[in-house]
Amino acid sequence: MAQSQEEEVILKVKRFNPERGFWWAEYKLKVDKFTQFTEALRRIKSEQDPTLSYRASCHMAVCGSCGMKINGEPRLACKTLVLDVAKKYNNNVIIIEPMDYFKPIKDLIVDWDEFYERMFKVKPRLYQAKEVLEGKAEHRLKPEDQRELWKFAQCIWCGLCVSACPAVVIDQQFLGPAAHAKGYRFLADPRDTITEERMKILIDSSWRCTYCYQCFNVCPRDIEPVTAIKKTRSFTKLYKDKSEVAEIGERHIEAIHESISKTGKLQEAEVYVKAYGVLQSLIDLVYMSGAGKLKYMLVQSKPVQNIKEIKKILGGE
Amino acid sequence: MKIAYYPGCAAHGLSKDVDIATRKVAEVLGVELVEVPDWNCCGGGFYDEYNEVGHVALNLRNLSQVEKMGLQKMVTPCSVCLHSHRLATYKYKEDKDIKKKVEKRLEGTSVKYDGKADAEHIVWVLIRDVGLENIKKHVKKPLTGLRVGTYYGCQMLRPEQIMGFEKAYSPTSLSELVAVTGATPVPFPTMTSCCGFPLIGSNPKGALKLAFNVLNGAKQSGADLVIHPCSLCHLQLDSLQLKVKAEFNVNWTMPAIYVTQLLGLSFGFSPEEIGIGKLAIEVLRSKGVI
Repeated sequence: MAQSQEEEVILKVKRFNPERGFWWAEYKLKVDKFTQFTEALRRIKSEQDPTLSYRASCHMAVCGSCGMKINGEPRLACKTLVLDVAKKYNNNVIIIEPMDYFKPIKDLIVDWDEFYERMFKVKPRLYQAKEVLEGKAEHRLKPEDQRELWKFAQCIWCGLCVSACPAVVIDQQFLGPAAHAKGYRFLADPRDTITEERMKILIDSSWRCTYCYQCFNVCPRDIEPVTAIKKTRSFTKLYKDKSEVAEIGERHIEAIHESISKTGKLQEAEVYVKAYGVLQSLIDLVYMSGAGKLKYMLVQSKPVQNIKEIKKILGGE
Repeated sequence: MKIAYYPGCAAHGLSKDVDIATRKVAEVLGVELVEVPDWNCCGGGFYDEYNEVGHVALNLRNLSQVEKMGLQKMVTPCSVCLHSHRLATYKYKEDKDIKKKVEKRLEGTSVKYDGKADAEHIVWVLIRDVGLENIKKHVKKPLTGLRVGTYYGCQMLRPEQIMGFEKAYSPTSLSELVAVTGATPVPFPTMTSCCGFPLIGSNPKGALKLAFNVLNGAKQSGADLVIHPCSLCHLQLDSLQLKVKAEFNVNWTMPAIYVTQLLGLSFGFSPEEIGIGKLAIEVLRSKGVI
C-alpha cells in the first residue's frame, strides 16, 4: 500500500499549571490523513515534550476522556483527524485548548468532579420493580420504546456539551445537557419505577435550557441532548408540584399552541399577555416604548385562511 | 431572481422593521420576494416540545406551498424560522417513525411535500446568490467610521450539519456584508452566543443575563452598534434593550439592528424608511452616519 502523504502542521497548545497559570506552547510535527489529535499529542509527549498533559484512553470515541477545544470547537481529540481540521480552516496552524467551563487542572486536563455530580443527580440507572429484581417477573421493553431510548443512552460522559452550554454558566439550577440526556433516558423508560422522583429532579431544570443547539452541534455521539430536554418538558403537565419557572414555561407554550390553533400564526401580543400576565406585559411595553418600538405593538399577522387544515395538522379536528 | 419569501410571525408583528428593510433591500438588488401564500407559523422554536409531529407537519405545509409555486428555495429573514423548517425537513427525511406519523397526520390535507423545497436564510441568499460585488454596486452612502459588531446568534449556525452554510465556530457572513457597506466589522467573543430569547418564555432573568453578555461583549470590543440576523434576536436585543440596561444598571446602550437595515442605510434609505429604532438612530447621528 502506498504511503499516505504527510504534511507539516503546527499545534498551538494552551497550557496551564497552578503555579504558572496559562501559557502557549507550539509544536511542529508531520502527520498523515489518518492521524488523530490523540495520536498527534502522544507523539508530542513522547518525542518532543514529556511535560505536556492530556487525557486519552480508548482512542475510538467510546470512553469520552479526550474532550478539548480544537480551533475553538469542542471535540473529542480521538474522533478528530488533524488534516481534516487543517482542511476545514484552510490553515495548518491549529489551536488546542482545554474545554471551557471546567476548572483546569493541568494543560488539557480539566476537573470533572462537578460534571459527575450533575450526572449522578439524575440517578443514572434503572430502578426496576421489586418483582423483577427478585426474579419473579420479567420486564420486557417494546421495540418502539427501545427506539425512543436508544439515542439518549449513547452518552459517553465526555462533557463537551456542558463545556459549550451557555445556560449552565448563568444558572446553577440547570443540570446541563448531558445530565438531561441521561435523565430522559430513564424518565421515558416504561420499566422504571421512580418516574415521579425523576420528574421532580428534571422538570424545573428542563425549563432553564435556552435551546441554543450547542449541545446538538458538539455531541460526538449525535445524541441531541436538547431533544431530550424538549421531550422532558412534555412531562410537565403530568407533574403537580411545579416550580415558578416550569409554570411560566408551561403557560407560554400553551399560549403558543392556542394562538397557532386559533389563527395558524403566533400572535405575539396575545401570547405575551397570557404567558406573563397584564402587569409584566405593561412593564415591558414601557421598555419597548422607550426603544421606539411601540408602533409595531399592534401589528398582527393575517390569520391563515385554511385554518381547518391547521387544526388537522396539529392533531385536532 | 424570484424566491419564495417566508417572513414569519415576528416579522409581521413586533419585528415588522425586519420585514420592511428586507423587502426594500431585496428590491434594490433585483431579488423578487414572493410571499408564500397562506403561510402558517413555524412553531417559533418551541412548538416541537409540545407537539413534535404537528411541528414537522406545520413546517412541511409551508414548504409544500413553495413547491406548488414551482420554487425550491424559501428565504426567511428569521433564524428561528429557518431553523424550525430545516429541523423539520431533517427529521422528516432521517426519522422513519416521525415520517410515518407526519404522513398519517397530513392525510386528507392539501400538503404534498416532495422533499425538494427547503428554507434558506436571507444572509445566505445575499452572499451566495446575489454576491458581495453586486451588493457593493448599490452602496450609495458608505458607512465609513461606523464600527459594527457582527452578532450571529444560534439558529442560523447550529446544528452546523443541518444549517450548513458556514462554520458554526468561525462564521464570516455578517463581517463580509458589513465590509461591503464601508463600515468596519467588529467580531466579538460572544458573537455566536445565545441572545437568551428562548429563555424569555420560562426564565426571564436568565434570558436577560444572556442578552447582556452579548451586548456587553460587543461593547467591550469597541462596537458602536450590532447587527443580527433574526426577528427574535431583534425582540430580545433591540425591543427589550432598555430592560436589559435597567436589569444590569449600566449607563450605555448597544443598539441592535437587523442586517438588512444596515445594508439599507448604505443603499441610501433613511433610517425611518427602513424602520431603524430610536436607540440606533441616536448612535448613527453621533457617528455622523445620518
